[in-house]
Amino acid sequence: MRLDPGGTDRELALAVRGWARGLGPRVGDAERAGSLALDVVRELGDLGVLGMTVPERDGGLGASTVAFALVLEELAAAWPSLAVGVSVNSGIVAGSIVRYGTAEQRARWLPALMDGRGLGAFALTEPTSGSDAAALRSSARREGEGWRIRGQKQFITSARYAPLVIALARVGEPEPGRPHAGITAFIVPMDASGVVVGPAESKTGLLASDTSAVGFEDVRVGDDAVLGAVGKGFAIAMAGLDGGRVGIAAQSVGIARAAVARALAYGRERRQFGTPVVEFEGVRFPLARARAEVDAARLLALRAAALRDAGLPFTREAAMAKLFASEAAQRATYDAVQVFGGYGFMREYEIERYARDARATTIYEGTSEVQRLVIARSLLSAA
Amino acid sequence: MKFLVCLKQVPDSTVRVKVGGDRRSIAAEGITWSISPYDEYAIELALERKDADASTVVSVVTVGPARSRDALRQALAMGCDDATLVTSEADLSALDVAKALAAVVNEAKPDVVLCGKQASDDDQGLVGPALAEALGWPHVGMLTKLVPGASGLELWREVEGGHEVWSAAPPVVALVHKSEKEPRYPSLPGIMKAKRKEIPEKDLASCGVTPGAPRPEVALMDLPPQRGQGKVWKLDGDAKGVAEQVAKALREEAKVV
Repeated sequence: MRLDPGGTDRELALAVRGWARGLGPRVGDAERAGSLALDVVRELGDLGVLGMTVPERDGGLGASTVAFALVLEELAAAWPSLAVGVSVNSGIVAGSIVRYGTAEQRARWLPALMDGRGLGAFALTEPTSGSDAAALRSSARREGEGWRIRGQKQFITSARYAPLVIALARVGEPEPGRPHAGITAFIVPMDASGVVVGPAESKTGLLASDTSAVGFEDVRVGDDAVLGAVGKGFAIAMAGLDGGRVGIAAQSVGIARAAVARALAYGRERRQFGTPVVEFEGVRFPLARARAEVDAARLLALRAAALRDAGLPFTREAAMAKLFASEAAQRATYDAVQVFGGYGFMREYEIERYARDARATTIYEGTSEVQRLVIARSLLSAA
Repeated sequence: MKFLVCLKQVPDSTVRVKVGGDRRSIAAEGITWSISPYDEYAIELALERKDADASTVVSVVTVGPARSRDALRQALAMGCDDATLVTSEADLSALDVAKALAAVVNEAKPDVVLCGKQASDDDQGLVGPALAEALGWPHVGMLTKLVPGASGLELWREVEGGHEVWSAAPPVVALVHKSEKEPRYPSLPGIMKAKRKEIPEKDLASCGVTPGAPRPEVALMDLPPQRGQGKVWKLDGDAKGVAEQVAKALREEAKVV
């Protein structure tokens, strides 16, 4: 593995950094409004970010997972709410269709995930099944040539902006001892009759990123909506989450990096006792540790990404990257707010937003506790 | 229509420039290099014509050291069709640069040559007019907009308090002040495509240029003196009283009124 990503991967990330610099007040405006302006999503489509993980044969860029992780870091450093939507759209949703979709499904659905008309959604979580994802209750029943989907999904990222959703539902009855039996992935257009998006959740952070419930009230879809094979949806979901965890690790790196940079800049300017506060060890040491953790987290994320690019197993490495990076982001944003002192607690200085946004990273795409379970299980099975 | 945009690679505007040890040049270590901002506007103007008419060809050229290839690559990533690099590691006079560019223009035969009105490193603004002179082409400065017109091209110029519209039949050299839209970002597919494009390289000799045109030399380069610390007065009283104290301090202490 190269410790420094290759020139093209780095150039793609720098291009996105340049674009993100131009976001300016649109970030604060969207966070206050609690919604993502769709013109930003359109720009990401025009820029080629949304299709960067899609192979060239399907109209995408065919960039590496390493490049995508670097780009997500840049997006998150500028605007974490945007980064999570892109991670889900281009990582999990487009990635699942690329990997498991038929040629017809790829041709039909991928353009909507690449051109910036919206951000795709992935519906696994339910009101009564979070970490225990296999306990989902949504069902799909055979009806003529197609399927009838019923169920309620919870905390669905970008539901309000999504042209389509990959929904996980069970075909048949749960089987004792085989909790994921029958779970099937369906590609459902959001304008299908019976798809109901609930009110947007009021969250602590990531305010511009939509998080809503999605109801499937007897939604009828054809056989061509089945992604992969009937009963194989849980494996698709888990594979999607592996990739998604690299994305959230990269998002966490971006948040932590931005927090350290802002704290450094502020600490140079802010004077107390006649000297810039960065002259005090109490400010220097936490920033030094945070910077070391940013680099360590990035290397973990890029290792998982490089393994994925090489076609090697990366479940454990993705869980390690997500666990470490998301928890490093908590420490980095906490310390950054401390450097700002009272101003850090004020909305006017954006550092509090990074602290609020970071909080989600140890929870979604599998909590830190689930990551530890994944890592421990892998250690024990290897022994 | 065929455009040729002449660009220069300069230190990025975010770079904190330091003076070199010789005190006649800037310290080159650690500098991030970019396309000069006015040249980016020129590229944007040309690409807007290409957006409007897909048959438009936009070429770019630069005269500079080998690292200038990155600036050409960036222009290709923005959407330009092809690029030419004239390499010279030496710091050339504006006249020598103009002569080298003229050789490229004569070979490429564009309808319109666009240059930024000045480069952001030395702000001299000499190369564009010198190129027009070397070519014997008409020259328009302070361009802000360019549209096809009945008699060739409509060239919009910014002037004090308004704008003028000039017309010119190609070929013409125009120096760009700004574009209506901000220069576009290189798209990710554009970066990938640009990677695959060949950038032909020429040297000054193949352009028929022997450097040595008369030029002034930089005698001294220096940063502005460090500003002294400010002073905070704690003033009491009503507005009139405070104003009197400020006026007195400005006159007697700062000696600026």
